[in-house]
Amino acid sequence: MNPGIDLQQRFIESLTSFGLPSGAAKAIWMPVPMLLMIFGATVGVLVSVWLERKISAAVQQRIGPEFIGPLGILAPVADGIKLVFKEDVVPANADPWLFTLGPAIVVIPVFLSYLIVPFGEDLLVSNVGLGVFLWVALSSIVPIGLLMSGYSSNNKYALLGGLRAAAQSISYEIPLALAVLAIVMMSNSLSTVDIVAKQSGYGILGWNVWRQPVGLLLFWISALAECERIPFDLPEAEEEIVAGYQTEYSGMKFALFYLGSYVNLVLSALLVAVLYFGGWDFPIPLDVVANLLHIDPSNVIFQVVTASLGITMTLLKAYFFVFLAILLRWTVPRVRIDQLLDLGWKFLLPVGLANLLITAGLKLTFPFAFGG
Amino acid sequence: MLKFLNKVGDYAKESVQAAKYIGQGLSVTFDHMRRRPITVQYPYEKLIPSERFRGRIHFEFDKCISCEVCVRVCPINLPVVDWEFNKELKKKQLKHYSIDFGVCIFCANCVEYCPTNCLSVTEEYELATFDRHELNFDSVAMGRLPYKVTDDPMVTPIREFAYLPAGVMDGHDLPKNQKRAGQRPEEIAQASEPKKEESAP
Repeated sequence: MNPGIDLQQRFIESLTSFGLPSGAAKAIWMPVPMLLMIFGATVGVLVSVWLERKISAAVQQRIGPEFIGPLGILAPVADGIKLVFKEDVVPANADPWLFTLGPAIVVIPVFLSYLIVPFGEDLLVSNVGLGVFLWVALSSIVPIGLLMSGYSSNNKYALLGGLRAAAQSISYEIPLALAVLAIVMMSNSLSTVDIVAKQSGYGILGWNVWRQPVGLLLFWISALAECERIPFDLPEAEEEIVAGYQTEYSGMKFALFYLGSYVNLVLSALLVAVLYFGGWDFPIPLDVVANLLHIDPSNVIFQVVTASLGITMTLLKAYFFVFLAILLRWTVPRVRIDQLLDLGWKFLLPVGLANLLITAGLKLTFPFAFGG
Repeated sequence: MLKFLNKVGDYAKESVQAAKYIGQGLSVTFDHMRRRPITVQYPYEKLIPSERFRGRIHFEFDKCISCEVCVRVCPINLPVVDWEFNKELKKKQLKHYSIDFGVCIFCANCVEYCPTNCLSVTEEYELATFDRHELNFDSVAMGRLPYKVTDDPMVTPIREFAYLPAGVMDGHDLPKNQKRAGQRPEEIAQASEPKKEESAP
């Protein structure tokens, strides 16, 4: 693997060449990737909201948003602007503090999780050693916010929705963690960069899908449940409990929930791409292509091309899964709460444990293929 | 032990079957994505009304003989025929004719029974007004012909399903002799019928 471009290094070097102390240069650099990531995540949400509407329309043989910008791409922006200008209502006898804190607690961890999403060797906010574990830990904060907003709304439907959300998140956290654990065991590292690095080198053949097909299934089902997408959207089941914990919310607070759910969906899709589909890795190993074409891997243009190709590949893989989630939404009906818990505890958990055990066994028997 | 293993096997089989069904469902929804949208973007696109479309009724004043057949065949006696007997001509002379399209059900019985064909149906269906009394059309208003959708430069005319070329709206790409899911009634009847060999003795 070539080292790729280190933007941070370049940025700091260019600032220090203007006579800035390296500490100050680092401090100036620090907010850049964070803001870029938050901006990127928000744009990703807008894109997925648009995709949701367009693909839903196509599946139902409709046209979908058409006149708000070319092909209706400004429809999610219009949605957002509408929500910004809406009145912010706090229902009578609601706890105003918990009511306001709820959506914030739901959204912030999801955005924080983008810390570990890599788009290239050095194209991530921070290569935290804890990596995916950080994500698993952060995503278990979300149900607290949901429960909080459900409890504080002074509404029976909101309370039911909040309780359901908490129950669902807790029961699907475990199979999710087990699926991640199997990957971590094969990669010998929690860091997302290492996980991708372990998969790269053999192109499409080296990806974790081939070694962890059951894990992928587990991860995807639990991720859908974590995102509260249909078939697991019980916490906000319209036909039963109005809109669940979102019932009493309006305006910007509701927009936070809305944003949070889509950010979470994109995040889950990105992590599927990173953990199982080789992240930024191109289906054909690029080093081999470079060798064939006699290009020096340290060539600047080659590095820029690989970096942008890496970002494109990550996004393509992620959005394939966003597409799948949307298609699933119109394919499968909602499960009942008992079916949901049955699936979580009686199917995914044992399968996850078995998968972990088999992975461990395979790792001991075939250390070359399963990352000894 | 064997019982437990059997249970595990059954469970696995069920899971595979469930996965298969979800896959089938996904293929159906995916297939729908490439089909023609059924939406008509209304003010910009309009369906071409079919040949036998029964829209607003057209009336030709000069052909009317004031026979009032239209009133008699109308389910609610809606047309208002105001005539006077002209003694010199010894003929009924029509003074006013009107139909309230806010009440009309567009059954076109009047058109069917009119002996002189002075009534006819048009393809006009855009009858929205701010005041319901505006829908009470007199003979002048009923004498107007609607603007054809195909002649309107602002409108893209859309053909209705029945007028699309054959095969455009065909369903899933399934073979012609494909059976639907589950048993057909005759198969169920056949299966539940007591067999003669067993019941005979």
